[in-house]
Amino acid sequence: MKMSSVLGTIVAGALAVGLSGAANADLLADIKAKGKIVAATEMHYAPFDMLVDGEYQGICHDLFVEVAKELGVEVEFLDLPWSSVLPGLEAGKFDIVNAPVTITAERMQRYSFTLPIGNATVALLKKAGDDSIMKPEDIAGKAAGSQKGSAQLEQLKHFGESLPEAVDVREYVNIDEAMADLAAGRVQAVANSMPLMGYAAVQRPETFALVTPPFGDPKYFAWVARPGDETASLVEAINAALLKMHEDGRLQAINEKWLGTAPELPTEMPAVN
Amino acid sequence: MDFSFQVISHNFPYLVSAARWTILISFLGMLVGLLLGIGICAARLSHHGWLRRAAALYISFFRGVPLLVQLLAFFYILPYAGVNLPATVAAFLSIGMCSAAYNAEILRGSLQAISPGQREAADALGIPPLALWRRILVPQALRIGLPSHINELILLVKVSSLASVVGIGELTRVAQNITGQTYRPLEIYMATAVIYFVINALIAWGGRRLERRLGVGQR
Amino acid sequence: MELDLFIRYGPALLSGFGITVLCWIVGSLGGMGLGFLIACLYQWSGSWGRACLQAYIEAVRGTPFMIQLFILYYGGPSFGLLLSPVQAGIFGFIIYGSPYFAEIFRAGFQAVPTGQFEAARCCGMTEWTIVRRIVLPQMLVSITAPLTNFMIILTKETAILSVVTVPELLFETQTMAAETFTYIEPFLALSLFYWAMVEFTSWLGRRVERHVTRHQNRQTP
Repeated sequence: MKMSSVLGTIVAGALAVGLSGAANADLLADIKAKGKIVAATEMHYAPFDMLVDGEYQGICHDLFVEVAKELGVEVEFLDLPWSSVLPGLEAGKFDIVNAPVTITAERMQRYSFTLPIGNATVALLKKAGDDSIMKPEDIAGKAAGSQKGSAQLEQLKHFGESLPEAVDVREYVNIDEAMADLAAGRVQAVANSMPLMGYAAVQRPETFALVTPPFGDPKYFAWVARPGDETASLVEAINAALLKMHEDGRLQAINEKWLGTAPELPTEMPAVN
Repeated sequence: MDFSFQVISHNFPYLVSAARWTILISFLGMLVGLLLGIGICAARLSHHGWLRRAAALYISFFRGVPLLVQLLAFFYILPYAGVNLPATVAAFLSIGMCSAAYNAEILRGSLQAISPGQREAADALGIPPLALWRRILVPQALRIGLPSHINELILLVKVSSLASVVGIGELTRVAQNITGQTYRPLEIYMATAVIYFVINALIAWGGRRLERRLGVGQR
Repeated sequence: MELDLFIRYGPALLSGFGITVLCWIVGSLGGMGLGFLIACLYQWSGSWGRACLQAYIEAVRGTPFMIQLFILYYGGPSFGLLLSPVQAGIFGFIIYGSPYFAEIFRAGFQAVPTGQFEAARCCGMTEWTIVRRIVLPQMLVSITAPLTNFMIILTKETAILSVVTVPELLFETQTMAAETFTYIEPFLALSLFYWAMVEFTSWLGRRVERHVTRHQNRQTP
């Protein structure tokens, strides 16, 4: 949103207050009528979502732009702190969350997921040259950070419990801050999704190194919408667009552009436990 | 330690452009806070007991609950009651509503400095209460309390950073974003601190000039 | 309203509340101490010393607490200052509060007539005795209200500590919200906790005010 349109927004917002009471029967029809879809994410999750010189980039950006093309609408992207993203979706502040959200059984009861768009299995990042951590089990008795409220944090906690010595799990508001603390030495490892950890290790080899293999259950990322009939057609349309991109190779090309490799992504909803 | 000025100079334009949001949110918040504050102060001093109690409750609540919580409630809980405000509006309205509680108390203090004789004189002349407030009491009270109101505005500039939780790319949020990308927290946050400091120093300077022009402290 | 949520997350919320109170009390007492020291230094230093202290006061008051915390916590390691979250929280609180406290104390000093200082010096009192026996008791009368007010402001600033992962009340509440997908209940509970803290502080402030002004009350017929 540009500064010049602020006053317009305020006036429009004031008007919208009176109108927002009306329930939307079909979100997709509304979006098409407006010609615009509003998608929110936290732009702090490279290589999926990131800000480079004030510009939004990443896998989710590129994928969603393609999806919007398929839907024939424009996109407005919002940047929110992660703790505000899901509450904002539920409160109807935007149409969809185009952040990589890990598909879990608990969340499936609460939200409507699209088809997977990325690999969410947990891996560890350590400080470059730290020989005390060669495999995931080596974090026993050490401090490890992850993002508050994330499925990877849950996996880390679970994994920590299975180790002979407890892991001191630290929770961060965003994952960049966890990595800043890893660089500073406050934690010895950071746990997050494989693509994210791999990307950080490739981008900053002098500071970080990836610990292989990943651990925990295989997980996938997807986008989320509010549950229910209102969003059913929107999720269906996005899935159709994603399938089309699976077939014509765009999905693969975008992944390769950011990750160097393309992950095997299922073309149907994976089973979750 | 290597302090990189290049990181700062490269990212400075983004910080400055985000600072415009900081200024917009805090000034609009102050405007709402002053206008609403006058009403609440009037209610606080009203002859009606229930109005006084309602105003006291308002002040106690908005001063008692952290602004961060108020903002989250405004943005995420109000929609359940059918009120769906855009982020900008939610931000400056909720900052304004919080600030109104403080401004009302500042005004109440200033009003005590106005001699009761003026009110009696207005009564004797048959000036209606609304005109008494609008033409006589409020202009004087704002002048007397100017230093405190300026102080409140400076506080608002600082708390406007909380607006990031509702998705506004103000100064602090953008600084966080740049840090996430450059991994240079010290340089970026130092530069951010300097920008906040300059904004506040300018407000303080403007406030002092205004005080001199209005002759605050002179009777 | 799901009450079993509060049974499940009650211990976490209470521990968060404990850390909030700890940071608040230690941080504000430390800030008060540092502020008092600054006010004393200001009182007895030359124009250069005063200019330096003024610069410190303005710099800290002119910048948001969150940015100060970020510099301390995330910027600190660049110059070898590695603090734990709670340490950074308390340390940050002391720095953040000190200039406000210093200004309150300075105003308090100014409320004591200079003649009393001179008279006390003539009686051979040391500077410290003058502060302790003459200035402080009189000063407390005029500064109790602003001190209480600022302590109230600080109770709410504790919420900002969550950004550097201090497991305080807001942090625990956000965890609860993220894990249970409930947003209204946790924040209602949170508001009540803070409100209780603020009401308690104002009550304490009123009691202290009555105590320090007791001699004045006796004089009024």
